[in-house]
Amino acid sequence: MTRAANRAFDGIVVGERLPALEIDVTLACLVMYAAATWDFHRYHYDTRYVNERGFPAPFVDGQMLGALIARQLMDWGGHDAFLRRLRYRLSAMVFVGDRIVVSGEVAHTRVDSGHGLAVCRVEIVKSDGTSVVSAAEGTVDFGPMAGEPAA
Amino acid sequence: MTEALKSCVGREVTYSAPEPVGRASIRYFAVATGDTNPLYSDEAVASLSRHGGVIAPPTMVCETAQFYTAPQTADGYLGHRWDLPIESDRNIRGGNEYEFFQPVRPDDSITVTWRIVDIYERETRKGGSAIFVISEARYVNQRGELLAINRETMIR
Repeated sequence: MTRAANRAFDGIVVGERLPALEIDVTLACLVMYAAATWDFHRYHYDTRYVNERGFPAPFVDGQMLGALIARQLMDWGGHDAFLRRLRYRLSAMVFVGDRIVVSGEVAHTRVDSGHGLAVCRVEIVKSDGTSVVSAAEGTVDFGPMAGEPAA
Repeated sequence: MTEALKSCVGREVTYSAPEPVGRASIRYFAVATGDTNPLYSDEAVASLSRHGGVIAPPTMVCETAQFYTAPQTADGYLGHRWDLPIESDRNIRGGNEYEFFQPVRPDDSITVTWRIVDIYERETRKGGSAIFVISEARYVNQRGELLAINRETMIR
């Protein structure tokens, strides 16, 4: 994956694809995210506990998917990027053993208060084709446009 | 849906972190999400960006359990939760909407205010019904500067 250290807002084209993130969801992934966010609910690491409740395996906290989308958008946006907005609805649970792909594309661009913004539509899909999020969209702020006063 | 439940709309609670976010927590979150972006760990690189130094990954601030520790439940959970008059022990995340106003920095001490903005009942695709609880969290730093708003839908 290439990362533009400082990418220019002018070079962004509507329809441009964001580099995809492919992630094998392992128990280690879930444990690391749970620990980093102080979320020690057994849902995320206790296989017997979740099996007893009818789930096939420990499952991802939805906000981890938000973090992965943010990772993708910030990586694509380069070092001057700042995520302004991010929203998603969850449409399927993600379990240990799933493989997911986070992909996205630029839906439109605009200038707001002198800042260049790119609105990106994002999808997360499992390897069996199941869509994990719907209405997922992030807005990346590239900072003040050249010649514009900082807002 | 009961009147007792409906009357929970408007309920509000505030938690203040006992210490600043810190670089180690930021790097930990980045490692946990497989994120190698140097903005989160490399001061030399981050200082050359318009951010002027290391910042936290955007959604990190929206994980409230790092700021406040409740007594641990039998399920292992020790973060923020609403004690609502609902019999269901189901608690499914429906989605989130985040708005970020400025990056969170290592020396920021976070205060978060959670508020229940709406509760309603709706039929599900399977023909049953579910309670939707919409909460909004506002995160500010030690100077009272708004960092983020997180609007969250939980399905009970």
